[in-house]
Amino acid sequence: MKRAALLLRLMLKAVWVRKDRALTALTSIAVVATMATVALTVYSDLEGKFSREFRSFGANVIVSARGASLSADDPALMKTLALIKSTAGNKTEVVPVGYAIAQGPAGSPVVIGGTDLPAFKELNAWWSLDPVANSGGEALVGFRAAAALSPKGEPFQLTYNGKTISVQVAAIFHSGSEDDSRIYLNLPQFSALTGMQPNTAQLRLTGSAKEIEQQVARLSASLPQAEVKPVRQITAVQAAVLGKTRSIVLAASTVVVVLIVVCMVTTLTGSVLERRKDFAVMKALGASNSTVNLLFAGEAALTSLLGAIIGFIVGSGIALWIGEANFGAAITPRPLLLLPVILGSIFLALLASTAPLRILRRIQPAGILRGE
Amino acid sequence: MFARLLFESFRRQQRRKAFALLAIALGMSITTAMIAVATDVGDKMNQELRTQSANLLITPVQDSLDVNIGGVNLKPASEGAYIRESDLPKMKDIFWGHNILGFAPFLSEQQSFVLNPHVTAESGDVHVGSLVTADLIGTYFSQELKTRNESFVTGVQTVNKFWQVQGQWPADDSTNALAGSSFAAKANLHPGDTIAVGGRTLTITGILTTGGPEDEAIVAPLHLVQQLLGHPDQVRRVVVSALTKPEDDFARRDPRSMSPTMFERWSCSPYANSIAFQIHDALPNVQVEQIRQVEQNQGRVLARISGLLLLLTIAALVAAGLAVSAVMAATIIERRHEVGLMKSLGAGNGAVASLFLTEAGLLALAGGFAGFAIGVVLAHRIGQSIFGSSITVHPVVLAIVVFAALVVALAGSTGAVRKAMRFDPALVLRGDA
Repeated sequence: MKRAALLLRLMLKAVWVRKDRALTALTSIAVVATMATVALTVYSDLEGKFSREFRSFGANVIVSARGASLSADDPALMKTLALIKSTAGNKTEVVPVGYAIAQGPAGSPVVIGGTDLPAFKELNAWWSLDPVANSGGEALVGFRAAAALSPKGEPFQLTYNGKTISVQVAAIFHSGSEDDSRIYLNLPQFSALTGMQPNTAQLRLTGSAKEIEQQVARLSASLPQAEVKPVRQITAVQAAVLGKTRSIVLAASTVVVVLIVVCMVTTLTGSVLERRKDFAVMKALGASNSTVNLLFAGEAALTSLLGAIIGFIVGSGIALWIGEANFGAAITPRPLLLLPVILGSIFLALLASTAPLRILRRIQPAGILRGE
Repeated sequence: MFARLLFESFRRQQRRKAFALLAIALGMSITTAMIAVATDVGDKMNQELRTQSANLLITPVQDSLDVNIGGVNLKPASEGAYIRESDLPKMKDIFWGHNILGFAPFLSEQQSFVLNPHVTAESGDVHVGSLVTADLIGTYFSQELKTRNESFVTGVQTVNKFWQVQGQWPADDSTNALAGSSFAAKANLHPGDTIAVGGRTLTITGILTTGGPEDEAIVAPLHLVQQLLGHPDQVRRVVVSALTKPEDDFARRDPRSMSPTMFERWSCSPYANSIAFQIHDALPNVQVEQIRQVEQNQGRVLARISGLLLLLTIAALVAAGLAVSAVMAATIIERRHEVGLMKSLGAGNGAVASLFLTEAGLLALAGGFAGFAIGVVLAHRIGQSIFGSSITVHPVVLAIVVFAALVVALAGSTGAVRKAMRFDPALVLRGDA
């Protein structure tokens, strides 16, 4: 008991007497722990943060009644949609769309879609919309369809199977896809004209590429009467973005953490070597090798424990800030990382402080004290 | 005298100096590598994404509306306008031609196909198998083209990597074709099967999955399809992959309403709109649209990635700076005896400080250069392993790094030197301080 107390006192005294030395050691360990925490926290939340970004890409899966039959007003698809909602997580957005071919005033064919317009607009947030001033209508018209049927956004007639309706244009949109040749009506109007119910659904699944793949597989298994297709143009981009970003963040963080660790080990090793006089005095006073080891190691462990905790707190703060500044959503601290960070720091500090002692042990204490 | 003191200090304290040098070099290589990666990641990522999927769509001006549902093209074959295929290489001659990484033209029409016709060598007659209708799409797979002064390879393999093929890609001068996955499943086609159309027999070499209308179609080399459909030198639409700058408010303005200087500034920025505008000028009678689902969202994501790397870089730079400062401080703190000795021999504070700071400066210079060299190698390796192309480090980074090394090393030393000088030399030498 007395021995332990003495050791503790020696340690604390060593720290207290050379506060600046202890402070530099603490700084270097805290810096390592901070960087490690930042890198690990950011890396582990990358997927979550990016899948938030990917939401703006819109629908990434299309479910359609098999055979693309245009008279699919069978109740099967409605049941299917209900099923999609229950199978694919609750964050999934499902927007049912019905397609049909109607005739414009000149009898030219044009594809019309019927859907829940506000949800559909939200899903296709990247469209550029030119609202038509006080039209009072709801229809969204692709710019190519508009050029043919309603260049200035004026109301026009659509005919389907002998039935004719007048379409009020709410906005003309550019999408850069085949939607540019289509006209989107709200579902009641579409059903009234065609007597059809939605025959496809656009889905926005959230999650990693792998999770989306699993969800698609689950959906196709549970919907044998429908075709479930990922929009590969979008999913491929997302996978590429995520994969490359993960690797670049991993590579950069690894470089930074490894180099800073080397830097810190160098500092600590150097400062232990500078204390060869302490070492020699202890030996001359009769301390055994293990006692000296214990003393130096204990000091290093204490410093690194404190440094790791400071580093974890600062690092979590920086990660939080990175999330706020870059993604507009905090990257929350991961308490699970605290233990590895502490253990890693202590391990490194022990390594850095006890390795040089092995060199010193070979030298006679008297030699060191004499200044050789 | 000063030079000698300096020289002796380096000669006698080699280990200590080596540690400090190592620390500075490591800190600065972090700086170099992170700056290089952070500044280049946007471009690299942009390039990577451009191979995944095209971002511009060219269609003829007088085209009639597409009548396309669920991958089935119901547009009458006789209708609509075409783009001349031989005009396409002209788009490489526009101001931003180098930003155009590739393009792929498409020509499609609904056709009747005969599955697995048996061609008997003796009679040459075709035993008609079952008849199916599907779109026949012609495109470049990996076609070599010549522009005025260079030749380049382009096609869906370079601009639409999201097209997945099980089996082999057909060659552009062959009579091989790809079968869309949905079509192949319906018609029970496999690689190696043959189908006949318009008197020609095509060999299916692979099954194509795109998630788009191609899944329901047969995709064959463009020139073959042009012959089959009787539309030589004609294509319906072209997708283009161009490296673009994310759109801002200025990019969205209408070029027709700009003053000449503004218009010049606008066309000298590689916005999707200005590249589209230039292509529109270069090719007769075409309309160029952004594929907005790709182009609009990508800019945002790229900005996020660059931003993330930038913030990580700032954190890493601060960390490296602190680590180097701590090392410099530590080496000087340990040299209190020297300070005491010098002062008791009559050296003034200025002399002591200038000696120590010169040492720190020399170390910083050497460490800065060494760190830059290591950092360049690291950045190169990161680029190679992740993007398959090296990240080049701008020479100006060298100046930044050496300057940063000096600032950090001197800042770390100054505090410690001042502290060391505050002690009474006698106490320091006796070992009491």
